[in-house]
Amino acid sequence: MDKKNLRSWDKLESLQPKVMHLLKQMLIKNRVAHAYLFEGMKGTGKKEAGLTLAKAVFCEEPIEGYKPCERCIQCKRINTGNHPDLYIIEPEGSSIKKEQIQLLQEEFSKTGVESAKKFYIIIHADLMTVNAANSLLKFLEEPGRETTAVLVTENIHKILPTILSRCQHISFTPIPKQTFILQLINEGIKKERAPLLANLTNSIDEALKLSEDQWFLQARKLVIKLYEIKSTQSLPDTLLFLQTDWLTHFKEREQLDIGLDMLLFIYKDLLYLQLGKDDQLIYPSYKDEWMQHALQVSASRLTEQIRAILEAKKRLRSNVNSQLLMEQLMIKLQEG
Amino acid sequence: MKFYILKERLAKSVQDVLKAVASRTTIPILTGIKIDVTEEGVTLTGSNSDISIKSFIPKEEDEVELVEIFETGSIVLQARFFNEVVRKLPESIVEIEVEDQFKTIIRSGNAEFIIHGLDAEEYPRLPELDEENSFSMPADLLATLIKQTVFAVSQSETRPILTGVHWNFENDELIAVATDSHRLALKKATLKTGLFGNNSFSIVIPGKSLNELIKVIDENSQEPVEIIVTETQILFKAKHLLFYSRLLEGKYPDTSKLIPTDSKTTVKLNTKEFLNAVDRASLLAREGKNNVVKFTTMDNGIIEISSYTPEIGKVVETVKSLSIEGEELKISFSAKYMMEALRAIDGTEITIYFTGAMRPFVIKTDEDDTILQLILPVRTF
Repeated sequence: MDKKNLRSWDKLESLQPKVMHLLKQMLIKNRVAHAYLFEGMKGTGKKEAGLTLAKAVFCEEPIEGYKPCERCIQCKRINTGNHPDLYIIEPEGSSIKKEQIQLLQEEFSKTGVESAKKFYIIIHADLMTVNAANSLLKFLEEPGRETTAVLVTENIHKILPTILSRCQHISFTPIPKQTFILQLINEGIKKERAPLLANLTNSIDEALKLSEDQWFLQARKLVIKLYEIKSTQSLPDTLLFLQTDWLTHFKEREQLDIGLDMLLFIYKDLLYLQLGKDDQLIYPSYKDEWMQHALQVSASRLTEQIRAILEAKKRLRSNVNSQLLMEQLMIKLQEG
Repeated sequence: MKFYILKERLAKSVQDVLKAVASRTTIPILTGIKIDVTEEGVTLTGSNSDISIKSFIPKEEDEVELVEIFETGSIVLQARFFNEVVRKLPESIVEIEVEDQFKTIIRSGNAEFIIHGLDAEEYPRLPELDEENSFSMPADLLATLIKQTVFAVSQSETRPILTGVHWNFENDELIAVATDSHRLALKKATLKTGLFGNNSFSIVIPGKSLNELIKVIDENSQEPVEIIVTETQILFKAKHLLFYSRLLEGKYPDTSKLIPTDSKTTVKLNTKEFLNAVDRASLLAREGKNNVVKFTTMDNGIIEISSYTPEIGKVVETVKSLSIEGEELKISFSAKYMMEALRAIDGTEITIYFTGAMRPFVIKTDEDDTILQLILPVRTF
């Protein structure tokens, strides 16, 4: 596990004061529920909060009765991923399969390895297949003694309503964008770059990492270039550029997802320009150039284009050929 | 940590604990073998979190020095490498030493291995033993008890509790029951050493764990195996070998009411003849979906065993029974279940008690009244 990812209770408290206060009250009053749903934007510290809760539950000598000590063997083993009564399920490939949930169920039909307590965390719970979700359901309905579940998701609307109704929801609020941008600038990120990073993630660590990532810097350039070619040249040229430069850079699905996000932000900017909300621009350095484009296109056309990108983002999850997906999107964006 | 050890003994212990080491696990530390060195000797531990095996090598045995200890301590070493390394070492004496940062040096003859170990602190802790909550049983009896029941556990995870064998202790008697809701195996054993006062209590042990256990205990020995039950685990303690298993959680269904006490038709048969006949009849039935054979009582104590699979063919065989009492009967049942039940019953003659074609029937033997097998018939018309 990445050491950088492990934040202490105090750090999480400054990040998510409401959530941590809630968890603290639960722990002190000894009223930990059997299932939680942690939902919130990427980088809001959901997984860390889940692990911290696990540590607080297992910790031998919690400070003031709720704060994990980070020193005892239980806390240490959770940090290194070696705790025998803590299970973390993460998507295998693009989804969480039924077999994974079944293994979990098998595990939980038995007594704990060391203590009677058991804890499981499901990361990206929205990526469970319907079968997996239904298997989990039975399990959530009849929780064992001292079993705690934490489901983590960025996309609460994709969780089955039947699962939703069986969990206690805890919302992780992102840091307000403007505050976050200021924080990034304080950390030494250039003023023009900060808004884009703030829109991609809500974690300072991740933003800083991205800003130094060569792949990301190149990706940003390519996305803007793609947009420029698309708006100034003919469709065959766009498709050629897509083929030769763009797709070779965005090989993985996650990379393409980021690419589509960045493309989406361009159209968002155009919309902001039309509406006169210049201060919210994501690519402020292109303001003057894009003002032209913004004036030439209607608001309804813009929304159509944004919808096309969102549609492409959705289809990306269902195992499509990325080249076909992008080509189709370009045609949609260029027409009309 | 530093000690010298006889290679033969170390290799044997590693082999023993390796049976429990998981090949695939989500907990990285469980891919290792834990070595504990104390003043008394060396203990090796392997675990896949479901079962854990500990093997102890004492300092001395029968006046022979097995281990020479210079410094006590603990370390976890990757099981796969450690096993291979130990087996292929050149000399009969092995030196193992742990230096800073879990760096472990294994020396034998002119060979020297340096292996990066893991922190033994991170290894799961096995429960503390309370010797008072214990009883013992000869190894051969324990092996029979397991073999005669464990085959009947459910293979499907839809009802997890049925994948285990139910052990119920009551008044110095142990009743082991396994069922997959189509058949049931029951075995009783009397415990010589009284336990837990007169309390009755029950546990459910995963079938998979018991299957592993019979591989490690010596079924031909009369040596007692001590059995200790803790809140979360059960421990089987043989000489220098400890076998831990997690238990299944939940309430086991009450099976005592399922077993019919009366009988309408009672058939006594020679086990071997009957088993072979069912086996032959199932040759054709096996191809079909359900592997069902038909059992019909005829005149003069003859039993007809038949099976008919439309697309393949038909088989009929008669078996002479030793005695038939009661009503005439036509009944169908799974050949697989019948064969497994007959093999589990260790007797030359068996008696089957039927209570009608639609009711479960019981198989027993006069030679051993501690075992009982129950099978549900199959409806065929």
